[in-house]
Amino acid sequence: MKHAIKDYWRSSVLLAACLLGACSAAAWADTREESGLVSHIISAEMLVSNVHSFSPPSSTIDAGTLTGAWTQVDLPHHFAGALIPALIPTTGTSDTAAMMTTWYRISLEGLLQPNKSAHLYLVHWRTAGQLAVYGDGHLLYRSIGTPAWNAIKNPALLIPLNQTADAAPPNLILIRMDSLPSAGGAISSLYVGDTDALYSRYTVRDWLENQLAFMCSAAFLAVGFFALAVWIVRRREPLYFLLFAIAMLAALRRWYYFTGLEKLLISDQWFAYISFNAVMWQIVALQFFMALLHQKKRPWLNRGLIGFSITLTILTLPWSSTPQSIVPFNLMFILPIVAAITMIAVNSWDSWHSRSREAQLLVSWMLVALLFGVHDGLYRKYQLNIEGFYLAPYATVGLFVIMMVIMYRRYVGAIGEVERVNASLAQRLQTREAELAEIHERLREIGHRQTLSQERQRLVQDMHDGLGSSLVSALRVVEHGRMGEAEVAQVLKGCIDDLKLAIDSMEPVDADLLLLLATLRFRLGPRLISTGITLLWQVENVPPLDWLDPKNALHILRILQEAFTNIIKHTHATEIRVATGVESDYVMVKVTDNGQGFAVQSALKSGGKGLSNQMRRAEAIGAEIKWVSNNTGTSVTLRLPIKKLA
Amino acid sequence: MRHPPSTSLIRVALVEDDVIFQNALREAIETAPDMVLLNVASTKALGLQALNKFEVDVLLVDLGLPDGSGIDVIRAAHARWPACNIMVSTTFADELHVMQSLEAGASGYLLKDSDPQNMLDEIRSLNGGGSPISPMIARQILLRFRPQDKSEKLPPKKPSATKPRALLSAREQEVLEYITKGFTSDEIAALINVSSHTVLTYVRRIYAKLEVNSKTEAIYEARNQGLLAQ
Repeated sequence: MKHAIKDYWRSSVLLAACLLGACSAAAWADTREESGLVSHIISAEMLVSNVHSFSPPSSTIDAGTLTGAWTQVDLPHHFAGALIPALIPTTGTSDTAAMMTTWYRISLEGLLQPNKSAHLYLVHWRTAGQLAVYGDGHLLYRSIGTPAWNAIKNPALLIPLNQTADAAPPNLILIRMDSLPSAGGAISSLYVGDTDALYSRYTVRDWLENQLAFMCSAAFLAVGFFALAVWIVRRREPLYFLLFAIAMLAALRRWYYFTGLEKLLISDQWFAYISFNAVMWQIVALQFFMALLHQKKRPWLNRGLIGFSITLTILTLPWSSTPQSIVPFNLMFILPIVAAITMIAVNSWDSWHSRSREAQLLVSWMLVALLFGVHDGLYRKYQLNIEGFYLAPYATVGLFVIMMVIMYRRYVGAIGEVERVNASLAQRLQTREAELAEIHERLREIGHRQTLSQERQRLVQDMHDGLGSSLVSALRVVEHGRMGEAEVAQVLKGCIDDLKLAIDSMEPVDADLLLLLATLRFRLGPRLISTGITLLWQVENVPPLDWLDPKNALHILRILQEAFTNIIKHTHATEIRVATGVESDYVMVKVTDNGQGFAVQSALKSGGKGLSNQMRRAEAIGAEIKWVSNNTGTSVTLRLPIKKLA
Repeated sequence: MRHPPSTSLIRVALVEDDVIFQNALREAIETAPDMVLLNVASTKALGLQALNKFEVDVLLVDLGLPDGSGIDVIRAAHARWPACNIMVSTTFADELHVMQSLEAGASGYLLKDSDPQNMLDEIRSLNGGGSPISPMIARQILLRFRPQDKSEKLPPKKPSATKPRALLSAREQEVLEYITKGFTSDEIAALINVSSHTVLTYVRRIYAKLEVNSKTEAIYEARNQGLLAQ
């Protein structure tokens, strides 16, 4: 909030500085003195004559032919038009209405220094008609715009009196002003004298009156197109479209600043139509713009303004065939003024209650612009010194600056917002990461604990089935003194083998069945050798068994250990052959002996602990175990799936 | 202590705190006409002291000594008597302890539950330049040497380019692979047409390379960490 206030004041100060700069430039120009070089002419002789048609000025005129009652008038001079203005003629030639010609006669006798380049500087003139300037009877300048154009746009004139320094300047200046009687007219004071001094006066005025407004309108329009481009990709932000609309309408309204002094490319009616309606729609656009700033909804005002504007836009359409049907524009301008006052009043209220600094700034400026409009109305009606300025263009300049400030603040605000959002996102991300890390850690711990618990269960089960029961039965036998030393040693050796295989099963074998078998041989080989049995190792490479984890590895080790134990204990074999192979989706491990064999079916039925243990373990790893036995030997085949069935 | 042995006898020393195993070995060697047990030390300190008193052919070291690790004894013995055959006595011949011992300079191991005859055979084999090996140890060694193996699909590791390392010969590699498949040294000898003893000397050479590499790696690491000048 503090920031917002600071920004607001900063931008206000900036705006004020700009306006102050413009005003002081104007003041500086007015107070500049070139005494001695320039003569200020503040009086003239005037003659009014009526002509019946609007005719272009002749190239020469004999001053002597202008007879009548010349009267002395002070400059600036103005004459009022009729109270109810008539229609402005659409063209300069086809008009039948009576015209009025006002002549101004100024003697330059003794005012100009010899052998100097001299100019005449007419600060302002205005009438719905035309103007011509003669020097010693020769045409020096004539206006080229239509009457309607000249009633609006009246540039200052800088007219050369002599082309070169050695040429003699004229002694008598004659100004002819043709006007519709209803329109009135005015002429400012004149300056004559040194070209350079007058040129700088002219330039300053031209810059303040025309160029500044032109530049700002152009800049505003450029920014407007930028805003349009923003809106095209961000349709949800109508502010940018409104900014474009306001800039576009401001440019249309002041089109004559862009087109310069040349005649407009369109007819006067269309020009007036566009200017008039641009003002009306600008009011509508400003209403919506304000609503976005202060966020107060006034649907009735929105609808009313739009309806009003559409009506006016349709009603004022210039049907070229019937120009007389148009309501006079002078009166028509009351309607936008009423609309503007209503809009500004409502928005002042809303802005004041919304606390939106931007809305307050903009509506304040619109109040100022309204005052400027009042000024311009009076100025137009010759109620103010005509050497002043129209102020409405500066209202647009101010509007432009304020809208720039609004855009600027949105932009800077958006960047700041993005940074804040990013910062908070980063923070949230960090928090979330920390949470995730914690959860992950907890899960890992749980997983770890689970693994440990499973591993413990597995080992406990194995100890219980193997080592534990072997030791317990050995203990019982020893306690009853029924076991010889050799037998005890045999039992203990069996226990150590059990233990070794359990430890081996915990080494990762990387799915390598042969490595597992190799380990088994490494452990049990010495025992086989000590019993005099020959081991034939006929292994072939087999595909990796991805399911070969410690638990499954121990099952396989125990199954084969049991097979070896059985052979040693029961078969009197002298040779054991261990072979591996692949059969479709299975890896086969085959242990064959040359002992006396046994009855497989009856052994299974009688529930011998060894065989059923082997079967249980085989089942646990998804494998099959099969015995084939006759009196020349037994073969045990373990059929392991390559891919573990789910 | 005993009299100085004649050169034809295999001079054996033991560093071991387990009295039962001390006695078992003592009894076994007493029955062997070609061996003499020069010294039995029951602690690491005594074992290290004995290194300066006796030169032996075979030194048997237990890893779990009351005053420290037998690895230190192995390392010191290997530095003092490079020609001495060092054997670690272990219960399970488990990978972890055997690998550590081999890297410290041992060239064999002795399973404590072996019968006396077996123990004597192992000592003789070791003294003759052979070394025992288990399938798990063979696999572990293959893994250690794997990054250097061009036939493997693994991309060669960057650091290995800067580490001069001993490589396994094709024959040594072949022997190790047979061992991981469960073949005994006799069987391998038949498969590759050499004598059984030659197979065991291959194993000895492999152990030596393992020890060299472990030293190189230690130096490399030390350099990496700035502990040694380049």
